Order: sequence, then structure tokens, then C-alpha cells
Amino acid sequence: MTEKTFVEELRQIVGKANVLDGSVDLQLYQYDGFLEERRPEAVAFVHSTEEVARVVEVCNRHGRPFVPRGGGTNLTGGTIPFKGGLVIEMIRMNRILEVDCTSLWARVQPGLFNLELGNALAPMGYQFLPDPASQKAATLGGNVAENAGGPHCFKYGVTTNHILGMTVVQADGQVVQLGGTAPDPLGYDLPGVFVGSEGTFGICTEIVAKIARLPESVKTLLAIYDTIDAGSRTVSAIVAAGMIPATLEMMDQLVIQAVEASLHCGLPLDCATVLLIEVDGLRDDLELQAKAIEDLCLAHGAREVRQAKDDTERNLLWAGRRGAFGAVARLAPSFLVCDGTVPRTALPEAIRKVAEVALKYDLRIPNVFHAGDGNLHPLILFDWRDADQKARVLKAGMEILALCASLGGTISGEHGVGLEKLEAMRLVLSEADIETQRRVKRTFDPRNLANPGKMFPAPEEVVCAQ
Amino acid sequence: MHSDLSNLRGQLEAIVGQDQVVAGVAGTAAFAVDGILPELVVRPGTQDEVSQVVAACARIGAAMIPWGGGTAMGLGNAPTRTQVVIQLDRVNRVVEWDPANLTITAEAGMRLAALQELVAKERAIFPLDPPADHRVSLGGMVAANQNGPSRLRYGTVRDWVLGMRVVLPDGQRIHCGGKVIKNVSGYDMNKLFIRSLGTLGIITEVTFKLLPMPAQWASMIGLFPDLAGARTVVEKAMASFLLPESLDLLNPEAVALLAPSLGIPVAPGTWGIALALAGSPETVARQDRDFAALFQEAGGQVAPVPAGQTSRTWRAIRNLLDGAHADNPARILCKITVPIARTCDLVAAAGELGRRCGLQAAVMAYAGSGVIWALYLPAMDAVPGSPVASALEALRGEAAAAGGSLVLHDAPSPLKRQVDAWGEPGTGLGMMKRLKAEFDPRGLCNPGRFVGGI
Repeated sequence: MTEKTFVEELRQIVGKANVLDGSVDLQLYQYDGFLEERRPEAVAFVHSTEEVARVVEVCNRHGRPFVPRGGGTNLTGGTIPFKGGLVIEMIRMNRILEVDCTSLWARVQPGLFNLELGNALAPMGYQFLPDPASQKAATLGGNVAENAGGPHCFKYGVTTNHILGMTVVQADGQVVQLGGTAPDPLGYDLPGVFVGSEGTFGICTEIVAKIARLPESVKTLLAIYDTIDAGSRTVSAIVAAGMIPATLEMMDQLVIQAVEASLHCGLPLDCATVLLIEVDGLRDDLELQAKAIEDLCLAHGAREVRQAKDDTERNLLWAGRRGAFGAVARLAPSFLVCDGTVPRTALPEAIRKVAEVALKYDLRIPNVFHAGDGNLHPLILFDWRDADQKARVLKAGMEILALCASLGGTISGEHGVGLEKLEAMRLVLSEADIETQRRVKRTFDPRNLANPGKMFPAPEEVVCAQ
Repeated sequence: MHSDLSNLRGQLEAIVGQDQVVAGVAGTAAFAVDGILPELVVRPGTQDEVSQVVAACARIGAAMIPWGGGTAMGLGNAPTRTQVVIQLDRVNRVVEWDPANLTITAEAGMRLAALQELVAKERAIFPLDPPADHRVSLGGMVAANQNGPSRLRYGTVRDWVLGMRVVLPDGQRIHCGGKVIKNVSGYDMNKLFIRSLGTLGIITEVTFKLLPMPAQWASMIGLFPDLAGARTVVEKAMASFLLPESLDLLNPEAVALLAPSLGIPVAPGTWGIALALAGSPETVARQDRDFAALFQEAGGQVAPVPAGQTSRTWRAIRNLLDGAHADNPARILCKITVPIARTCDLVAAAGELGRRCGLQAAVMAYAGSGVIWALYLPAMDAVPGSPVASALEALRGEAAAAGGSLVLHDAPSPLKRQVDAWGEPGTGLGMMKRLKAEFDPRGLCNPGRFVGGI
């Protein structure tokens, strides 16, 4: 009996049409939002936990690395098959399996888009709180893998704060249930360790997500500033006044101009920055909170504060914020998104220093911030065909991360390490810290087959049969 | 004393000073775990000393039991070995208090009440409220995942830890996380140690996220002739827009325990709901009104808590079962978790267990969170085949069938020999054992106390 090839075995599990290995098809799976490209050996579309388990078992037997891929919205190279092998395409596992509004959870498959879950819950009066700006195209499996954030997480926490349990196919193909629908599951917090592991422990095939009641009321404010410094100082002032808005977002002039050119949200083109502030909760004090925030903004130098009159105005403002990355694509052929985070009070200084980096490397760097949690997204513009410029971009990106670390912050707030920040890990972690993380990786994936080459500097070699 | 251990004593004295190492029954008796005395109690003064102490213990393979405020020492199974208790109460400094960014970094031995007092001066709060806040240490609270009624609004320890320093079982010091509220720079290592009961290392420092102090707190007690009325309130509140800080459900025995603190007469058989509200004056007033209406519609009687009494009343409520009859060696304290919708069912079942076994059963649930505490008194001498053990297993079965668990937080040692403190942790146990084997291959840290024999 002749042994079947890797690809033949995959076809037997998921069906002939669900395995791609033609070069044109593979080209589509060799990149994401980061700058690197690596071609996989094959792509398999999966439809159930059982299929994922069998596919991973085949990868194990053949010593092939595997990378799960959802919406591919990752910005740090997390979905690039760095060591080749198989891309496991999760996008067809996109069903909502069960919603329990009394126990406040929804059981979903990982290929479901974040926004689709929100759209399904809203008519029932509920929501899933993590809301990455890419929620239209980002899957919940990807949110789990990256521990995604979003505007809401200043008040409500990031993905890990909203995951109760999950079904996981371990790197050896075994299926395990971590956590569940009850609080405080027994033993170590394995869902907590798994969330944010960037596909390097195994593949999550089912998610029990916490859901919450939609707020009774929401008020949305837009504060407009002539200097970016005044805007960033307002952020700390709002929190110092004892308020925790649901969102505290900031965009600078270049971003505003790009957003206006593509989305026409009514943002003033001549201002230095805007703050998009939303308060939510019981209706009784929201008008007062909104007024207090308006006063603070004006006292800190806002030239104007607008309040969205209705849902249409509110949605327009949010369309602008959520579309910011897309709109910035008008400004240059490529951009690198930085994801440094600083303590909130260091925001004005961080912004000044990012501007210095732009000057030093002769680059344009528009900025979008989750200002409430000190998370900066400098978008370094460049032309990928210009090798010299690309080299300067990478240096500038690293310098921005270093300045965030030196201000008491960190190198990634919500986009993850992936391939982009392997070396930057050393800015915030000691060798002992990194080695301890590697020990966790070895525990879950001793053969280093699950998304190898990511997360850690000096990646370990794949133990590969090939 | 074994010669290795007497050598160890000398080494430990060299690290922490002679007066910080205690041997002999007189000194170690207060540090018994499930009746088993350690050989040595050592009190390091700094995080570096903790690291050196752990390394010295690890060199001779001595089993180590970290000890903060001692509030969770009844939790879990009896240790399989106890040689050295590492007491952390001297490692209690504030490392960085940053009011403007609402974060605080403090050492593990600091008491929660001390931290609360400090941050309150700048009008900030750490929003969690586990029992015994004057005794519970920060490290113990994190390692044992100790939360209180306010988890309804604020979540649990895992939602408030931004970073920590840990001494691994070989003495190596590592750092996890940081001080920013979003951080995905590598794995979320904090989660590995939160709730691990000291079995993967000793937490020596924690960074917490804080909140601005609410403008107002208020509290209200509702008294109901039966469970059905109280249950209606819980269900309606949970389906509403209201955002109480805490919503506790008390069975009649729990109400009887609380009655002296309320200072009002309570008829036997009365069920209770204890409600805490926090926020702006407007939202507190609105919720006060709405809850009073809910209580009345459900046939309840509103017992308002005078404005000046809110914090005293809530201290009584959060300590109610944890602190009751704490010196009674026969008491059994269990924590039951279920999906939120099943909470009232398990409250009823936990009370029923008491009636079947001839025990007094005070039951209090964090009703919107799916967490139920049951205190049983007086436990009969647990003998093999006694109804208590089998009744607890049956109750555990009911919780497990709903997707939850039953954990013994305090129980007489003989009972613990019959009933595992944790129960079956499910298919993740293999991963947990591999993590334990990777971090503590010789099983030196809190051996045997955790799930699955870890």
C-alpha cells in the first residue's frame, strides 16, 4: 500500500474541492495586513470541530505547520504561514449555535464576523462588547486569537474579559473543552491563557462569549481642537473628573482629511484633532455627563463640541472612525500600523515624540488613537515599491514602540506580536520572561507546529519530518 | 528535624535573619493546613528574599506553602506534603501608586483594606469586595480568585490585574503584563497565575487597574415570604437596564444570620435580597425607585438601609457566610457555580441538602453572577458513608449537570478525605497537568491542594 500524500489525506477529510494547492490560490493566502509574504503548501476549508481535529492530526503525522485564518484582518503577520505548511481556513464555521439571554452567553463558531454577532444580538436587546474597528470583517476566532480590543474596551475591557469558554483543537489534534457557561471554571484559567495566543497553542473551534444588555441610552460627542496637545490633555482630564466614557477616540488632521475625502462624515478639515466621546448607561444622568464632558473639553481648549442629535448622526461619526484605516489607504500605497500603548497621562508626550520620529525619518505619520486607554495607532505611510522608504518605515516603527516602552507602556495594545514585533518583545520583557512564555508554548505545542515563528524573538526551529 | 531541613533552616536564616524563621510546634501551630503542621515558617522581607527562599527550598526539594492573610487556607484538598510555609506579610510595600492613570502596583503581602484606604484618599477604588478585606492579602486574593458580591458589576480578579511579578518554583523571578490597560505583548501570563492557588509559583507583586470613586452608594434590603417572590425580582432586574453593583439572594437561615446587623425584626422563613447601588446621585435615585417598585410588585417588604449604614451593612453581608462560626471546626463552606439562569434552583437545592442531612444551611447567592455560597452547621462527624458526603456529591452532580461546579472552601479534614474539594475539572485537566509538570516538575508548590491532584 502506498502512503497517501499530505494533500491527499486532507482531501479525504474535507472533500476535494475544499483543499487548495494551486499556485494562484496559494498566492491569496500568503499575506495579511503586514509586510511579509510566505506561501503555504495548501489551504483547507473546514466546517466542524471534528474536521479541524482530523486535519490537525494529519498535520502532526506529516510534521506540517498549520495556521488558522479567519478574516485575515490581522496587522502583524499573525496569519502568514511563516514556515509554510497548511492554512486552515475557518471562515465557513460561521454559525451562531445558541444564545441564552438569561445566563448572558452566546455560543458561536469562530468564523463568525464580530459585527454579525452584534447584529444578531441587537434585536434581542443584547450586545457582545469587544468591537475592533475591523468588526465588519474580523472573525470572533481572530478576536480570541489576538485578544482584540476596540473603542469599547476602555470601559468594558478587551476580548479576554468577555470569553467564558471555548472548544479547542490542541496542537496534537485532541479536542478539549476549556471553561464553559458557568463562572469560575475549575483549575487553571486556560481560556485566559489561550486568548491572545495568536494561534500558537492550537485552534479554537467554538466560543462561549459573554453578552450584555444594550445600554438604555447613549450620547455621542465630537470635540474639535486646533492643537493636538489640547485634545490629548482633555482625555486625562475627563478620567480625572471621575468619568469613564464608553469610548474616548481621537483622530488627527491627516486622518480626518482622509476620512472626509472618502466617507463625508462632516468632520472639519481645518482642525488639528477631534475626540469622539461616547457615554452610555442609564438615561438619568447621561445629559449631565455629556454636559460635564463638553465643559471639560471647552476648558481644555476645544473650539467646538457637537453632540450627535440622532442615530444617523451618531452612525456617521462612527463610520468615520471605523473607516479610518481604510480611508488612510488613499494617502499612500501602503502603511504600517503601529500599536504602542502608554499610560494615559503620557499620551501628549508620546504624540510629540511620534511627530519627531516622522521628521527624523522623513515620513508622513497620521495618527488614530484609542485615547482612553493610551493606545496609539500611528499609521506610517510609504510606497512598498521604494525599498529605501520601506527600510526607514521599519526603523521608525521600532523607534515608536521603543518610545512607548520607555514611557511606561508596551509594544502592543491590541494587534499582537505576530512577525512584526518579535524583536520589540525585548523592549518590555526580560530573557527570563520570554523563556517562561516559551515554556508555556512548549507545553501546549511541543512539536512547534501551531503557527510557528511567531510571538518570540529567535524563533525555535520547526521539528519537521520533511 | 530531618538533616536536610535543619541545613535548610540555617540557609533560610542566612537569607531572612534568624528571627524570621520559626520552627517548633509553638511557632508553627498557627500555620497548620488541614491539621498538618509545617516544619518551618519563614518570613521573607523582600521579593528578592522570597526568590532566595524558594531557591533554597527547591535545592533540597522541600514542599512550600505560600501564606498571605491565611483567608484561603481551607480551600482545596489537604496538601500531600507541607514542609515550609512562606509567609508574605512582610512583603507589603506600595511599589507605584499612580492616581492619574488609575493604577497601583503593590507587593503581595499588603492587605486589601490597606490598599483600599490608600487609593480612597485620591477618590479611587479597587472595585472588588472579597470577604475579610482586613485579612486578605493581595497575593492571596489573586492566587485564590477571591471575589465578592460586586462581581456582578465589576467582574472578578482576572478583570483587574494588569501585571504581576512571580517567583517560579525554582526561585527564578519573572514579570508578566505591565501597567497599561491593554496589553498583548506576548501571552497573557497573568492568567496563568490568577486562580492557580500558588501551584505554579508565588505571586510577589501585583498591578491593578482602579476606578474613580462613585459619587454615591446606597443599599436596600428586600424581605420576601418565599423564594418565588425573591426570584421574580432577580429575574426582572437581570432583564432590565438596571445596573446594581451587587444583588445577593439570601435564604431564611442566611437572613437570620444577617438580622442582628440589620436591627429590624425578621420573621422566620423570610427570604432576602440585598442590593447595593453605586453611581451618580441621579442613577442611584432612579435604581432605588425602580427596585423598591420591583420588591413591592413581587410581594416583598422594603427594608431601607440608612444612608450612613451602607458600608457597615455591606461589610456584614460580604462577610456573612465566610465569617460565620469561623472557629467551628465542623463547619462546611461550599462555593457552587452555575450558569446565571440556574442560580435560584441551586440555592433551593443547597438549602434542601441541609434539611436532608440535619444541618443548618445558610445559603447566599451572588444572584446575577451564578455563584452560590452554602454554609452548613453543625456538621456531624463525617464517617465513611455519612449522608453529608454523598449529599454533597449529589449537589455537585446537580451543579455539574448544569455546567458548573461545587468547591469546598472550608471543611473538616475527615470530610475532605471522602469528598474531593474540587470535583472533576473536565477535559482540560491534561493541559493543566502538563503546565504543572513544566513549571513545577517536582511538585514543590502547594502539592496536592489543587484540582486533579495538582
